[in-house]
Amino acid sequence: MSNAPVQVSVIIPVGERRTSLGELYAEYRSGLATLQVPYEIIFVIDGPQPDYQQSLAALAADGEPFTIISLTRNFGEATALMVGFEHAAGSVILTLPAYLQVEGSEIDKLYAALDSADIAVGYREPRATGWFDSLRRQAFHGLLQLVTRLQFHDLGCNVRAMRRKLLEEIRLYGDQQRFLPVLAERQGFRVAEVAVRQSKSDRHDQIYTPRNYLRGFLDIFTIFFLVRFTKKPLRFFGMIGVATFAVGILELLYLVFERIFFSSPLADRPALLLASLLIVLGVQIFALGLLGELIIFTHAGGSKDYQVDRVVQYPGAQPAAAKPAAIETSVKVVA
Amino acid sequence: MYSLPKLSVIVPFYNEEDSIGPMHAAIVQAVEPLHIAYEMVFVDDGSQDSTAARADEIARQDARVRLVKFRRNYGQTAAMAAGIQYAMGEILVTMDGDLQNDPTDIARLLAKMAEGYDMVVGWRYKRQDKLLSRKVPSVIANRLISKVTGVSITDNGCSLKAFRASVIKNIPLYSEMHRFIPAMASIAGPRIAELKVKHHARQFGKSKYGLSRIYKVLLDLMVIKTISSFTSRPLLWFSLLCVPLTLIGFLALAGGLLAAVPAGGRLSLPLTGSGIIFLTAAVTLTASGTLGELIYKLGDVRPEDFARLTKELRAPQERAGSP
Repeated sequence: MSNAPVQVSVIIPVGERRTSLGELYAEYRSGLATLQVPYEIIFVIDGPQPDYQQSLAALAADGEPFTIISLTRNFGEATALMVGFEHAAGSVILTLPAYLQVEGSEIDKLYAALDSADIAVGYREPRATGWFDSLRRQAFHGLLQLVTRLQFHDLGCNVRAMRRKLLEEIRLYGDQQRFLPVLAERQGFRVAEVAVRQSKSDRHDQIYTPRNYLRGFLDIFTIFFLVRFTKKPLRFFGMIGVATFAVGILELLYLVFERIFFSSPLADRPALLLASLLIVLGVQIFALGLLGELIIFTHAGGSKDYQVDRVVQYPGAQPAAAKPAAIETSVKVVA
Repeated sequence: MYSLPKLSVIVPFYNEEDSIGPMHAAIVQAVEPLHIAYEMVFVDDGSQDSTAARADEIARQDARVRLVKFRRNYGQTAAMAAGIQYAMGEILVTMDGDLQNDPTDIARLLAKMAEGYDMVVGWRYKRQDKLLSRKVPSVIANRLISKVTGVSITDNGCSLKAFRASVIKNIPLYSEMHRFIPAMASIAGPRIAELKVKHHARQFGKSKYGLSRIYKVLLDLMVIKTISSFTSRPLLWFSLLCVPLTLIGFLALAGGLLAAVPAGGRLSLPLTGSGIIFLTAAVTLTASGTLGELIYKLGDVRPEDFARLTKELRAPQERAGSP
């Protein structure tokens, strides 16, 4: 390879799902060749996978240039991505899955889309899929749109190209890489969705267990909280806390009312327990919100609420600032 | 090159393409006769119209204009906070970008500041806005804010304010706190004055606020109240929350025990149970308070810094006297 500085860093996190390395590598190599810029490939092995590491080593022995980073245990795709990014030198970061989702020749479309965007997200179109998968995907993206007011078609597609500064600003963790476009949009980056052709070997034979659903739902909830309430926890907790408290108080008042006017004894009613539980719960949720506010308040100096695109000032051409300059020179002459 | 400006005029713009030119001219016209070094910090809050382009043009022609461009729209508080962050003057004046504030008031604000105040807040005593949708809610909100925060300001919504940079730069501004800057600043204990300022009817564009903000104002008010009263002593504050819970808990418990006497020693589960629940909650709340102390200890906001600041500031100020 030439010695030109790397422009594109390709990060491939290798997790549980993966296809045979030879096929994948050939496909990506041919796709990347069409970019016609110097690039590097970084494999991040997420947890010990001896067989895969062996085939990588074999490939490297054949003189193929790439970096391999092995993580001690499985940290999740987002962490793998961030680790890979730490070793990336390019000004453009390209993430590709370790299994063939899209055809390699589609990579240059994403790269080209960066001309007018900070991150280009692929979505597979047309998509070969069963009706149930399609329904589930629509439900997921619909729910996400409801929560974040942002519309995406295919967040499951991990083929993405982005500018370096985007990953410098957004720290991902856990399973958040799926929501990278959402977080990017919140940070004021320009997000573009690019239709890419699905690879023929992209078959989705994962079986969705209730656990997967629960996880997806929790993910959306986390994003919802991150996007809407990170800076105002009391708005979130306060709402829930006050509502719970109010229900408890109303129930208590009703019980007291019955005790006074219908003399049904207060002491023997289990409903009293429920009322006091609700009141107490309300107060505690509210207190959690207060703690959240305290965290925000005491750390507000470190985390800014806004992202500045650029600061502009032209010190050169200036009819007005010529004035102090003129005064200065005249002073000099007098002195 | 040039000495640091003494005055920074901070103006956030959001979709104000017609106002930005006249605004710049009006500021220059108003401040130029004062013969002080000054700068203008224009914040473009992610406008979608040609505001940014026009601001750029103005900056090109006037070196005293610094333009801070946001990546997207973040709201007025963020714009103000950024303007304050990027301003270099000793005294900062903030105003709206919609021409409703009058830059000729800047001279009077500065005169008031020279009397030794750390913050001078504008009061739009002849407000030119719609009565029902803007003025009436505003009056109610201001009464409420004064009452709750204990900082008596007639018009919190007025953007035309002057600050001593060293005081305001240390106050965290986030969320939608711009309405509460005086209350927020009161943590630092500055001397605040009010000044009647002019207010014009809107010439261009349209208002970006509606009635929907009332709900947000109420919640933010609650936040401000709690924060300004409990910042430096979360444990105390949480313990205060515990007091009613403990009282109710003991009453319920006592009631349950007393009721057991005529019933031949049979305890009433709901009543004693409720008592125990309330007492447990009091304990957990105290624990939360301790957690709060920890958070506060680890955080970077320290009122003692504010105290030192305002104290140091005042001494020379009082010597200088009023002009």
